[in-house]
Order: sequence, then C-alpha cells, then structure tokens
Amino acid sequence: MKQFKFSLGICAVIVGLLAIFYVLQHEKTLITHPKGTIALSQLWVITTNYILMLIVVIPTFIALFMIAWKYRAKDPKANLAKEHPPSLLKQMSIWLIPLPIIAVMIFLTWKTTHELDPYKPIKSDVKPLTIQVVALDWKWLFIYPEQGIAAINLIHFPERTPINFRLTADRSPMNSFWLPQLSGQIYAMTGMVTPLHIMADGSGEYVGRAAEINGKGYAGMTFLAKSTSQEEFEKWVAEMKRSPLRLSEKIYTELSHPSIDHPVTLYSHVEEDLFNTIVMKYMQHPTKI
Amino acid sequence: MKHFFLGKLTAHDLPHHWYTIGATCFMLVSLLAIAVIVIKTKRWDWLWKEWLTSTDPKKIGTMYMIFAAIMFFRGMLDAGMVWLQQAIAADSQGYLTATHFQEIFTSHGDIMVFFVTMGFFFGLMNWIVPLQIGARDLAFPFMNSLGFWLTVAGGLLINFFFIIGGHFGNTGWLAVAPLSQLEFNPHTGVDYLIWSLQLSGLGSLLAGINFTVTIIKKRAPGMTLMKIPLFVWLSLCGMILIISAFPVLTATTFLLWLDRVMGMHFFTTGSGGNLMMYWNLIWMWGHPEVYILVLPAFGMFAEIVSTFSQKAIFSYVSMVCAAVSITLLSYLVWLHHFFTMGAGANVNSFFGIVTMLIAIPSGVLVFNLILTMFKGNVIFTSPMCYSIGFIVIFTIGGMGGLTLASPPADFQTHNSLFLIAHFHSMIVGVALFGIFAGTTYWFPKIFGFKLDERLGKRAFWLWLIGFFVAFMPLYLLGFAGTPRRIDHYEASTGWQPLYIIALVGFVIIVAGVLTQVQQLFVSIKERKKNLDTTGDPWNGRTLEWLTSSPPPFYNFAVIPSVKSPDAFWEMKKSHQRPEKKYENFEMPKNTGMGIYISIFAFLFGFAIVWQIIWLAIVGLVGSIVCIILRSLDEHTEYELTAEEVEKMEKARVTG
Repeated sequence: MKQFKFSLGICAVIVGLLAIFYVLQHEKTLITHPKGTIALSQLWVITTNYILMLIVVIPTFIALFMIAWKYRAKDPKANLAKEHPPSLLKQMSIWLIPLPIIAVMIFLTWKTTHELDPYKPIKSDVKPLTIQVVALDWKWLFIYPEQGIAAINLIHFPERTPINFRLTADRSPMNSFWLPQLSGQIYAMTGMVTPLHIMADGSGEYVGRAAEINGKGYAGMTFLAKSTSQEEFEKWVAEMKRSPLRLSEKIYTELSHPSIDHPVTLYSHVEEDLFNTIVMKYMQHPTKI
Repeated sequence: MKHFFLGKLTAHDLPHHWYTIGATCFMLVSLLAIAVIVIKTKRWDWLWKEWLTSTDPKKIGTMYMIFAAIMFFRGMLDAGMVWLQQAIAADSQGYLTATHFQEIFTSHGDIMVFFVTMGFFFGLMNWIVPLQIGARDLAFPFMNSLGFWLTVAGGLLINFFFIIGGHFGNTGWLAVAPLSQLEFNPHTGVDYLIWSLQLSGLGSLLAGINFTVTIIKKRAPGMTLMKIPLFVWLSLCGMILIISAFPVLTATTFLLWLDRVMGMHFFTTGSGGNLMMYWNLIWMWGHPEVYILVLPAFGMFAEIVSTFSQKAIFSYVSMVCAAVSITLLSYLVWLHHFFTMGAGANVNSFFGIVTMLIAIPSGVLVFNLILTMFKGNVIFTSPMCYSIGFIVIFTIGGMGGLTLASPPADFQTHNSLFLIAHFHSMIVGVALFGIFAGTTYWFPKIFGFKLDERLGKRAFWLWLIGFFVAFMPLYLLGFAGTPRRIDHYEASTGWQPLYIIALVGFVIIVAGVLTQVQQLFVSIKERKKNLDTTGDPWNGRTLEWLTSSPPPFYNFAVIPSVKSPDAFWEMKKSHQRPEKKYENFEMPKNTGMGIYISIFAFLFGFAIVWQIIWLAIVGLVGSIVCIILRSLDEHTEYELTAEEVEKMEKARVTG
C-alpha cells in the first residue's frame, strides 16, 4: 500500500511537470512566445533567473527528501547518541550556500535593469514612430502626433521600427499598460508622462490590456496592436485620413467620460497638442473634476 | 436636521441585494442562536466572567483563534466566489457584476491578512510566548484584552457593510489611491475599509507593543536574549515590525479619509495631490506587514522540526541572524511593489538588489531546517508534515519572488496571476501551514489532549494537493499574460481550462478545511484517548512543556531558571526540576473595560463611516472616558500567597 501511494505521488509530480511544460510551450502562453526585442530580453531574464535558482533548489529538494527518508524514526522512543553541536564555523557556513548564485543574480539585475529600462530608446537605423497613449475610463486612446490621427483601442505600427510610447491618463486612476508579447508593463498616470519603447520583430496581431485595477470597466479595457510592413502601415494611415470622425476638444471631453467596452474608433484629425493639454490640465491649480 | 441625526444614511442603504440580505439574515440568525444557547444553558455569567473579560493570555489566545477561524470561513467563501466567477466568466459576465466581484476580492484580502493570519498568530503567541519565556502573564494584561476586542470591533465593522451600506471598497486590499478617492468610489465601502483597518490596526499595535515589552522584560531568570526559544525570537522580530510599520498604515489611511471626507488633496489626481505618494506610504507599511505574517511561522517551524527530529536546531545563531536581517531588509524593499511606476533604472535596481538579498537569510532558514533533520530521529507527525510542505512551497514561492524582484522580469509578471500565485505560496504555504502546524503542536498544551493524528494527516494531504492544484495554474496563467483581478475575459485567450483546474484545487482545499473541522470535533469527542497527562506529549525542548497541560492560570507555580535555549530538554537530561519553593505573586484581575472601550470604538467607527457626528462624538468621548476610568483604577491586581499556590498545586496533582 505504501509503495503504491509512493508511486502514485511520483506519477502525479511527473504529470504535473509535463502539464507545466505543455502550457509553457503552448502558443497562447504569451510571455514565453515574445514577438518583440524587449519582450524577448525580458523572457531571457526570467529564464536565466530560474535556471540560476534551480542550481540551488534542485539539490536542496533532493537533500530534503533524502534526509527526511533516511533519518525517519524507526523507533520514535530511541534516544539519540549524545548531541554534538556543530562548531560555529560550520554553523555559519550555511550562509555561503546561497551567496554565489545571489551574487550572479544581483549582477544580472543591475545590468539588465539598465539595459531594459523602459525610458531607454531602442537603437535602430529606422526612424522611430511616436505614439501617445491616454488611459481613459475604460479605454485606451492612441494619438499619432506626426500623422495627426488617433484611434481608440487599436494601434497600428510598422514592424522592425522602434516605437516610442508616451503614456498618461485622464480622469482615470492609475493604469498599467501591458502588451505581453512586445514588452512589460508601465503605469499611465494623470499629470505625468511615462515613456515606453518597443519594437516588433515581424508582422502580427497582439492583445494588450490594462493590468492595474481601475474600476468596473477594468476587465474590458483591452486593445489590439497590429504590426505590419511599412507600406501597409502607410496605407492604413491614408485610410484613417478618410475617416469622417475628428477628435475635437468637444468630442474628447465626451470621450473622457466613463464607458465600458468602447468599440474601436478611428479619428482622421486630432486637435493639435491634445496630449500636452491633457497632461498639463493636472498641473494647473485648482483643477475642476 | 436629518443629516445631523442620520448623516449619509438613507433607506436605500438597508440590505436589498441577494448577498446583503443573505449575509444579514445569516449573521442575525447566528447571533440569535448563540444567545438562545447561552440563555438556555445559563452560561452567560460563566461566559462573561471566565472568558470575555478574562486577562489570561491563554484564554485571550483561544478567543483570538475562534475569532480568526470564523473570519477564515468568511474569507474562504470570498475566495470560492472569486474562483467560481473566473472559472465561468469566459465570454460572459459570469454570475457577479464587475463591482461586486471587485468588492469580494478586496474583502478577501483584508480579512485574510488582518483578521485571519494576524488573528491566528496573536492567538498562538498569546498561548505560547508567556509559557516559553517562563512568564505568568503578559506585561500589560489589560492592553492585551483591549487589543483583542479592538480587533473584534474592526472585524465586525468590516462585515457591517452587509447590514448597512451594501458596498465594500472595490479597490484591492490596500485601498490604492486614487481609485479609493471619492471621485471614483463615492459610496461608503472604502470608509468601511479604512475604519475597520484603523480599529484592528490599533489593536495590532497594542498587541505588538505588549509582546515586545513582555519578551524584553518578563523572561525567566537566566534567559538571556540568545537563549529565548526561536518562536519567541521570530515573534519579537515580527512585533518590532508591527510597532514601526503600523503607525504608517494608520496615518496613510487617515490621510486618505481626509481626502475623501474633508476635501483635502494628499493623494488626489489633481490640485497638487500626489497619487504615487500613497503607493509609497502604503507599501512602506505593506512590505513589513508581509514579514509580520511569515516571521512567527518561521519560528514555529524551527521549533517543530527541532522537536520532532529530537535534536537541537542546527544553528540557533544563524536562525536569529537570519530573522534579524530579514526584519531590517524588509524596510528597504517597498518600491519593488511598483517597479512599473517608472522610477528609473538606478532606483529600480537598488530595490531589486535589496530584495534579492533577502533570499540569503531565507535560504539559511531552509538549510537550517534541513540540517536539523540530518542525523536526527525524525517523527512524522502532522506538524512535521506541514513543515516539510512549508519548505517545498516556500522554496517554489521564493523562486517566484526572486523573479519578481528583478525589475525587467517584474515588468512582465507584475500585476499578473504569477504575482498572485507567488504571494499565496507565501501566505498559504508559510503563514497558514505554520498556523496549522503550530496549532496541532501546541493544542495539547492548552487543552490537555492531542488532536486526532489520522485526520490531521488527511487534512494536510488535502491542503498540500489542493494548494498545488489551485495555485500552480495561476503561475502558468501569469505567463499566459493574465492580469490579476479581472472579472471576465475572452474565451479565445485559452485561460478557462487553467481557471477551472484552480477551482478544482479550491474544492480540494475546502475538503481539507472540512477535515480539519471534523478533526476538531472527533478529537473533542474522543479526548479521553488522546489525553496528555505528562504535560510533555511530544518530548519537547522548551519551557512550555515543563508545566502541566493545560497549565494553571498562573502558568508556573515556581518560575524556572534557564541555562540554554532548550531549557526543558536540559532539565530532562540532568533530571533536575525547579525546586518547589512557593512565593507570593500578583495576578491581574479580570476586566470588562476592553469590551466597553471597543464598543465605543465600534460606534465611533460606524458613525464616522456614515458621518453621523453626534454618534462619533459619543463613541470618541465614551472610549476616552473609559480609558481614564481604567487608569484611575488602582486595584487591577490581586495577590496569590505562597500557601494558596501550594494548596492549588496539591489539588491539581491529586485531582
């Protein structure tokens, strides 16, 4: 019976590990299937950290189970031979076990944090594209200042081109902008601008989300990101220019009211400097809310 | 006029949703049932004199445990509702509205952290800390009673929105600004959250001060700081964290309340308010808080592993150094909760690196436990099983934690279910497992009989398997890009199967909890079989096993003197027991003042939530007057003479 239970346990652990492996290799597991240079490097950091930690953790687990098995009490009443407390030097030596791995991890953290700083522009020969992002309750407004167009819950950008995001929020609490396959999160906050730099490796469609709770429309605050070739992007911009909707100040004020599951909307024209107006609104005193 | 008498209250605030009506009925019926039982069995006098007004830490500890257990069922119900919603809400709204769903996980978090985990720990510390340091009582017995009743008042207030108001905060357990501002949360839910945390936070602060002073001042002769048992050491670290961190919580939530009610602008989006400041402040309390939740558990595991390996802890010094370094480092890592706020690479890497440093003392803890078993004679009782489970889950959770500690990795895992899986590994695998292990271990000391071992082991396996089935899918969902706290999602994301597996895990955990309830009932029914007549059922090592089970209300007739951390073990080895030389000593009288103050404090909390000014004044003045009255009372103790003690000791031996 005991042996049966033991083998059952081993089987369960193996099935569990296989299931974990299956999920991680599945294409819907977004973080292990990055499509952009930043997300790829971030995945590298996660994987490297895990491999480093497993160097210590696997032997620890083996030692734990072997010791627990070997020194199980066959006779609970048996008195141990006289205890010899280990010397202080021996006692303190356990501090050395995690030290080298942690040292490597600390070095990596310093290095990768600076390399993958969201503030740092991506080096490339291609001219970067700037997209301004405004988190509203509960939708994302994307403004293309160079093209003078805007869209709600949809971004379109050329592949292999660095994208400079500038994020802020309006009439919305703290928001987190997350495009898992292209990069990690950054917060969008009222009265502040946070930068984020990404670059897609190829063409594709990616789902983006809000990742910080911000009220009842939170779960529906998703957007679609499309990366295509430069020509297709230009075609899209030209198409946008034909849209009958224009983002005037009046329309924007209406837009900034809370709405849930806002449909994708395209605007052929944006009020100039709208993004800065939104940011500066919170700098003035007093603000009417 | 109406505003003067009723504040913001309207008829609309009475229960009118299915869940508020249900909860109100349930609470009223339970209260009625308890009242009927107490009156029918004529137990009121006994209940009041022996329990409610008691200043005996063992009794207050038991009341803490009962209170925490009740709150645990509330928190567990919340967890089940959240998981059920997420398992069915693919391409649909599920059975809960978004706001209701958010209120549920918010109250789940607050209840589990403030009332369940901290409640159980205070209960266990009340039981064991005085016994382990050879003290008859805590330093401030009345403050202990007051702290407990303030926690109860807070627990009552956090559930009171069911009866009046109908809304809780939907902000997440920390009431993050600016979502918790009036602009985004106009109803009184956030006020309930703020004031229940104010009351219970005050209770925790009082308990923290009390235990710190007790441990510093009331140790048995000979027990120097490096000879106190490890549970006491790690509790001391936790209590010092409470003293230094809880005032930050009180101040921060109070400022938030000023924003909400007085129209101030500390954390508002406009008018010079700084929302990021709230996050900094709340996590300056919040990170020490999570160590408050795990440090006492580390101490319990150290004692349990040492006892059941029948061997001294491998390195007592390392254990203490590890605990102290974790305590110090925990103040320096709060920013790792929001690397994504964009603080810049230098700041982020500083906090990431300090966080990684915590892995060193944590690793030392684990190696220390494993090496304690090495060459031991390890008896696998259920507390020992929980300890092994702890090592496994703590290590897995720790790997998740170190991943989150690296800012670039955190950008991808922050606010995802990966994070949820990480901290539940810590809270369930460390804090709760510690509580279960500690309760099983010390239960015979307090009640005089052991818990049923067979059912205890079954509960352990259900908890362990349930934990893995429930939380491993959450780690994976994090990698699938699932943000935390979403009430519905598109089926095309492919998340649903993993959510369903997690729900199955929850069902297994519930089976574990029911087994524990069964274990308690069976053990009480068959207590004759598991009676502990020796006072030392596990062949223990520390002072609590020196006295009888259950101990007399004065714990020790003669205060023992101590020569090593394993004081009782030394006594057993050398066949020496303290001489029976009785002396006069003083014991605290019972007092109902803690209850009166807490009733007034509750009224104050309720009134301030609804802005009923006259009631708030009544509550505030009432509690202050009670405190003054209590301070003027000089007869709070009575003397037990040596003869009385001798008589009682003799009666206990023969009876």
